[in-house]
Amino acid sequence: MARANLLERLHTIQDTYGYIPENEINKLSDQFDLPRSKVYGTIKFYSMFYTEPTGKYMVRVCDSLSCHLNDSEGLVTAVKNYLGIADGETTEDKKFTLEVVECLGHCGEGPVMMVNDQIYTYLNENRAIQILKDCM
Amino acid sequence: MATALIDGQQVDFESGETILEAAEKVQIKIPTLCHAEDLSIYGGCRICVVEIEGERLLKPACATKISEGMKIKTHSPKVREVRRNIFELIVASHDISCRLNCLTCSRNQSCELREIAADIGANQTRFDPIDKGYDDDRSSVSIVREPNKCITCGRCIRKCEEVQGVGIFTMANRGPATVLTTFGDKGMGNVECTNCGQCIHACPTGALHEVYHYDRVWDMLKDEDKFVVVQTAPAVRVALAELFESKPGTIVTGQMVAGLKRLGFDRVFDTNFAADLTIMEEGTELIGRIEDGGPFPMFTSCSPGWIKYIEHFYPEYLENLSSCKSPQQMFGAVAKSYYAQQHGIDKEDMVVVSVMPCTAKKFESGRGEMDQDVDFVLTTRELGRMVKEAGIDLVNLAEEDYDPMMGESTGAGSIFGSSGGVMEAALRTAYELITEEELEELDFEPVRGAEGIKEAEVEIKGMTVKTAVASGLSNVGQLLEKIKNGEEYHFVEMMACPGGCIGGGGQPIPTNQETVEERMKAIYEIDAGKKKRKSHQNKEVQQLYEDYLGAPNSHLAHELLHTNYIKREI
Repeated sequence: MARANLLERLHTIQDTYGYIPENEINKLSDQFDLPRSKVYGTIKFYSMFYTEPTGKYMVRVCDSLSCHLNDSEGLVTAVKNYLGIADGETTEDKKFTLEVVECLGHCGEGPVMMVNDQIYTYLNENRAIQILKDCM
Repeated sequence: MATALIDGQQVDFESGETILEAAEKVQIKIPTLCHAEDLSIYGGCRICVVEIEGERLLKPACATKISEGMKIKTHSPKVREVRRNIFELIVASHDISCRLNCLTCSRNQSCELREIAADIGANQTRFDPIDKGYDDDRSSVSIVREPNKCITCGRCIRKCEEVQGVGIFTMANRGPATVLTTFGDKGMGNVECTNCGQCIHACPTGALHEVYHYDRVWDMLKDEDKFVVVQTAPAVRVALAELFESKPGTIVTGQMVAGLKRLGFDRVFDTNFAADLTIMEEGTELIGRIEDGGPFPMFTSCSPGWIKYIEHFYPEYLENLSSCKSPQQMFGAVAKSYYAQQHGIDKEDMVVVSVMPCTAKKFESGRGEMDQDVDFVLTTRELGRMVKEAGIDLVNLAEEDYDPMMGESTGAGSIFGSSGGVMEAALRTAYELITEEELEELDFEPVRGAEGIKEAEVEIKGMTVKTAVASGLSNVGQLLEKIKNGEEYHFVEMMACPGGCIGGGGQPIPTNQETVEERMKAIYEIDAGKKKRKSHQNKEVQQLYEDYLGAPNSHLAHELLHTNYIKREI
């Protein structure tokens, strides 16, 4: 199979399982005739592919310049405290994974948070917590 | 033929040539780091940048094609300054610290960073080294990886994938967090690594080296209760001298034996003896298969890198492998039974050390099937280290002979170290055993030489025996695919390393096409100089059968000299 299709397949697997399991890497390695190290390297190059299971809800809080000026730091702390996890971790009930990220593309509307594919703008701490509560 | 100017020198070139290649033709050396002749072009390190008139940016000489009328400056002030800056940045990513760990690095004599520093006149290192804090990968019993010394040039990745067709390495992450790793960060010992050690030859730094056994061998030599015997592989005697500033291909068999005796080994024996023994067993096995009609092809089983490769990638062919242990393991088994009994030595007190051109032999000696026949495996490099540490001027020693009972060898045993050698040795013996006639032409030219895949047909008693030889695992893989697609052979020799054991992962650095070819010439020179050139003429091997084993493939021979293999997952 053409190498160019690899990324698309990785997206499909990521969307299906929430991460890319080892046996799927082995299958891709066979199908694309690539060493499995190569498939693994490709996954690790992109920060939005995961080799470990992530939570049902992927929470990404932006902390790049313009959000930072609008106190994203406070937002990050509030979310961390509420979920009880640090950047990059997943809650014990496997519901939430938190990532502090660079720029979600809404610099004029900060601070900004994304939950799975949904973007939330002009946030404050209370609204952010409410959004997370609504996910429960 | 087009022309261009490099540093004012007119150079003729063919279309498709790179600036680096063209510059070499007019005696201009452009420093390189991520580039290696046997690998694909990467263009990652930028040490080879040059100035091209009319171009705004400097271009990497390794990855830029030269074209008609180009005016190139390879060492202009601008180039020299940029090169030094790049070098400083590379060095900052490498574990150099005030603990002066260069002194204790595996590559203290052969570090390419030091070579480049000299080539470019580096005179300062302004950046503090980055403490990357990675753990060493010690998961493999053959090879250690020290990621803190890695400069992510990717040469090991390409070597493993392109030359060996395996591909256990990858880069992970991006930017400054880029790190070289294996699948799932599992470590080299937990993936489909064959332990061949070719990555060590590819590495410009000390980020990859063998798992050392020499310190434990020193302990054994010190221990008066231990009877320590050593065996030396065929490929070591034609390469060891390179560690003592001699030309590649210098033969130091007798000096090496003398050196090993001075180190304090109780007996110095020859793996070539065991190679002759292997031919008796493997030749008999081949004749048996010819009589029984298969299974064909029969594969040789001397190269432990090849064995692990087939166990991982082609387990459906495991029954085609010769059941013979490798010469290293046959030696160990015979030393700890036959020799120990004849001399009243308790097996438990005997320590068998091997000197091998190979890192995979370390893995092989620890295989469960091998019953601890060999206790420690030194690479050629490790032996060089011990000899230096003992202050022995090896190349100038008076030559000495191997000890009797397991020290005699024929020319056939000697050529095991070269790709095609096992095949040639086996054919010499099989021919005479089958036809009961004397073989007149002993040199099987078609299976000699440095090509990756060689084929030959031999007429034996009206039967055409089809043979093939492959060295370098990507060639091995190609030959296996050919066999899968229906190509028929009777006997196939497979070696993991390009050129065979002389190009092994434990050999002196550099090991490249040039040094391998010189070592190969020396191997055949040893063979040509021997009075006996057929394994079945080896008197000590005959004695072993007479006094102990009975006949080739006897019950006891099977117990001691044969083994079985494992299907491994990928």
